[in-house]
Amino acid sequence: MIMFTSLFYLGIFLSLLGFVLPLLRLENNRKAHRTFSYSLSILSSVSFLAFSALVFLKKGEYLIPVYSNAGLIDFTFYVDQLSAFFIAVISVVSLSSAVYSFGYGEHLSHERRKDYMASLLNLFALSMVLVVASYNTLEFIFFWELLSMSSFLFVLFEYGKPGTRKAGLYYFIMTQLSTMFLLLGFFGIYANTGSFNIQPVTSLQNLTLIFLSLFIGFSIKAGVVPFHKWLPYAHPAAPSNISAMMSGVMLKVAIYGLMRFTLTVLPQERWWGVLILVAGTVSAILGVIYALKEHDIKRLLAYHSIENIGIILIGFGLYLIYSANDLNELAILALAAALFHTLNHALFKSLLFLTAGSVVSATGKHNIEEYGGLIKTMPYTAALFLIGAVSISGLPPFNGFVSELMLFQAFLGSYLIQDPLLKSLVVLCLSGFALTSALAAACFVKAFGITFLAVPRSESARDAKEVGKCMIAGAVIPAVLCIVLGVFSLQIFSLMGYRTDLPDMLVIGIIMSLFYAITYLVLKNTAANKVRAGETWGCGTPLSSRTEYTASGFSQPIVRFFKDIYQTREVNERRFYDKQNTLFKEGAGEIHLMKFFEEKLYDPVARSINYLSIKVSALENWSLDTYVLYAFLAVLATVAYVGWIA
Amino acid sequence: MNPAQVLCIAINAGLILGISPFFMGLVKKTKALCQGRRGPPLMQPYYNLAKLLKKERVYSGNSSVIMKATPYINMAAITAAALFIPVACITTPAYGLGNIILFLYLLALAKFFMALAGLDAGSTFGGMSSSREMSISSIIEPITIVVFAALVYTLHTVNFYDMFSQTTIMQPFFQPELLFISIPLFIVLIVETARVPVDNPETHLELTMVHEGMLLEYSGRDLAFMEFSNSIKQTLFMAVLINTILPWGLSAELTAPAILFSAAAFLVKGAFLAVLMGLFESAQAKVRLFALPSLFALAFFFSILTVCLEVFS
Repeated sequence: MIMFTSLFYLGIFLSLLGFVLPLLRLENNRKAHRTFSYSLSILSSVSFLAFSALVFLKKGEYLIPVYSNAGLIDFTFYVDQLSAFFIAVISVVSLSSAVYSFGYGEHLSHERRKDYMASLLNLFALSMVLVVASYNTLEFIFFWELLSMSSFLFVLFEYGKPGTRKAGLYYFIMTQLSTMFLLLGFFGIYANTGSFNIQPVTSLQNLTLIFLSLFIGFSIKAGVVPFHKWLPYAHPAAPSNISAMMSGVMLKVAIYGLMRFTLTVLPQERWWGVLILVAGTVSAILGVIYALKEHDIKRLLAYHSIENIGIILIGFGLYLIYSANDLNELAILALAAALFHTLNHALFKSLLFLTAGSVVSATGKHNIEEYGGLIKTMPYTAALFLIGAVSISGLPPFNGFVSELMLFQAFLGSYLIQDPLLKSLVVLCLSGFALTSALAAACFVKAFGITFLAVPRSESARDAKEVGKCMIAGAVIPAVLCIVLGVFSLQIFSLMGYRTDLPDMLVIGIIMSLFYAITYLVLKNTAANKVRAGETWGCGTPLSSRTEYTASGFSQPIVRFFKDIYQTREVNERRFYDKQNTLFKEGAGEIHLMKFFEEKLYDPVARSINYLSIKVSALENWSLDTYVLYAFLAVLATVAYVGWIA
Repeated sequence: MNPAQVLCIAINAGLILGISPFFMGLVKKTKALCQGRRGPPLMQPYYNLAKLLKKERVYSGNSSVIMKATPYINMAAITAAALFIPVACITTPAYGLGNIILFLYLLALAKFFMALAGLDAGSTFGGMSSSREMSISSIIEPITIVVFAALVYTLHTVNFYDMFSQTTIMQPFFQPELLFISIPLFIVLIVETARVPVDNPETHLELTMVHEGMLLEYSGRDLAFMEFSNSIKQTLFMAVLINTILPWGLSAELTAPAILFSAAAFLVKGAFLAVLMGLFESAQAKVRLFALPSLFALAFFFSILTVCLEVFS
């Protein structure tokens, strides 16, 4: 008992030390301090990981007091299996991100920035762990804000670059909006119970209101459509090691919050599951559809985060639906799928962001249309990215497939539901989910194919060099876990005491490698082994990078199929020599994709707030008389109001 | 799993692997006869494979390890998927063999790598084909899943072996749900095997090509594998359709006569379906790529209809 809570204290202490050390600006040998700070981050991740593994296996609940002054400020932490699981997820990603930073952090331009990177990385990781371990809502908000602020600094890290300020502004407003909704929900709970503690509440007034405000608050932070707009701005703006953590685990902190408050705090109602399922399906479909048209590699990955958060919500929504209908086995399967996908997404998304960061730092470009052929110059990065791509596309035998398989199984069990309308809804969501996973595969064929295969499309892609050992090692950790968690999934589940009749991926993996080996060996001995190097067939014309298929070309059929969602507008101008329009003279064609949510939701809201503030500021004329008049009118109004009421 | 079960699965897979090129040849022959040609002999696909195995391989200088590994990955994934469908005998396998989702995703794995290989050589044909292939497969995917969901809703299991052991003992043609399912299942079969009206397996013309374009840079034994795995895939989807609507003859007994009888029955039914596919292809014209969603909407309608029948009955 003492042993393992001390691991938690140790983790906090190491992180804080790692946070403070680079800020002290000790003049001699700052690089050594940064290296030390990253090492501290790794050590604290390891101790948090060990701690959460112990809690998870012992299935206990632990209260860990840190500081308390008679009620007002109470830093007591609470860890049970759910929070231990999320702490483990956070720690694994922080660990690999810190290893990656040994190399990546030193690429930054200023000495001062390198220091801040090392320091803030520790604070960022620590604040996520502490949000998840919070015992009362005040603590939760405190660390939530700490998390928002540290990540906000990271979004603005490269403030000189174009677009970064817009990203920062978006992120800041959205994250504060999320905090506001959370506060509303928390005070709603406090008004009912008189306690800030996060513990089960049996009866509540305004339950619907409290649930909705918490749901919106967490949805904004998790990037659920239509609150997702900050993600595709903030993730590309942040440094890649941080995008990996933001996308891999910061979004999961919001998922944790949603799960914590719906599962253990609030008394559940039947319609919540339906709301969450539908929100998840919409996010998943729109996330991947927007990802397909995106050619900035990090923004593409950011849209996939929206999709995967949607998938996690689908699992959670199914859990709520099934448990409301007393289908316990299916409910547990759905919840296990949601949690497993949380872990899997953290792994493959951080893997993809880290390797994408390697590609960006090797080429200096963000646009995949300017990559190409990188598999030859950056073979390790390519192999790691491919593992991530196969995992996120949900292909066997990797981890992404196992959680999607669990979700499909949970969906297909819906024939046991009694209510026919609910059944139909679940089947519709199932088809949406299937569409999502197929489109994700298409998107990653594009992302991997255009980035790594064929001929380099620019000078910088041709001259790219493989990144250093640390940056590869940082990505190797999640890559190995992606494979292990996929192939040994059933064994891991039974180790945790969860028995299911899911397919054994170990057997499937062995069968597949056996067939691979048999095919290879049989051919080696029987078929002709002659190999000749030739040229790509180009109908006799010389091929170059200009004749290759582009990313825009690749996604064009899908963009066209879903043109109603993209609101594509095609403008064709043609001019002719004659009046009968037969001899073509010149023309121009443009395709515009509408930013639907930005143009139809965000901008109008922003405009109306702007309009309102202009109107309000017009009342202000810097003259004392006017202000006295306002005060007088206010008093008059108050008196009149009180007079009428009384 | 006991040796009898392993043997049963091996017999199923062996039969599928052995018979696949024949069905390919039969479809080709039917189409040729419809067009007034004599057509290649029925065994031509086997001769082709044998010939290709003896040929040298040519790799483009632009291509990478993806191009070289894809034929093996394809073969491994699709042969593994062949363990999932009973054609000669039914057993109750362990380890999730026969799981419908795993079956679909093994085929998706093959498709993923095939599309990457299409992009690998840097040719416009390959890129265009993999783009089209992935687009078509993404919009057919929800339909495939709903068809399979309809099967699950009707038969209450997610395992092909359990499903088809139920359909074999059902009254023939007295399951309207299964008849409805067969329509979208047939469309899925046409789409997945890249046939007219979705794709044209005969041409290498850029206007029509989808599947063939991805194989354009392949030669020698690699090409043999890509074509062989494609024919296995066709047999797998044919077997799903056959076992859903015409399951008779498929036996659960593990005796030599019973297995021989089921295998023969599958051959006859498969040949019938292959001729039907050839006739269907001959009667259709290739549909424009962007007109495909309406064809798919038809399939989606029938599969949703089946689910609704089940839900509201």
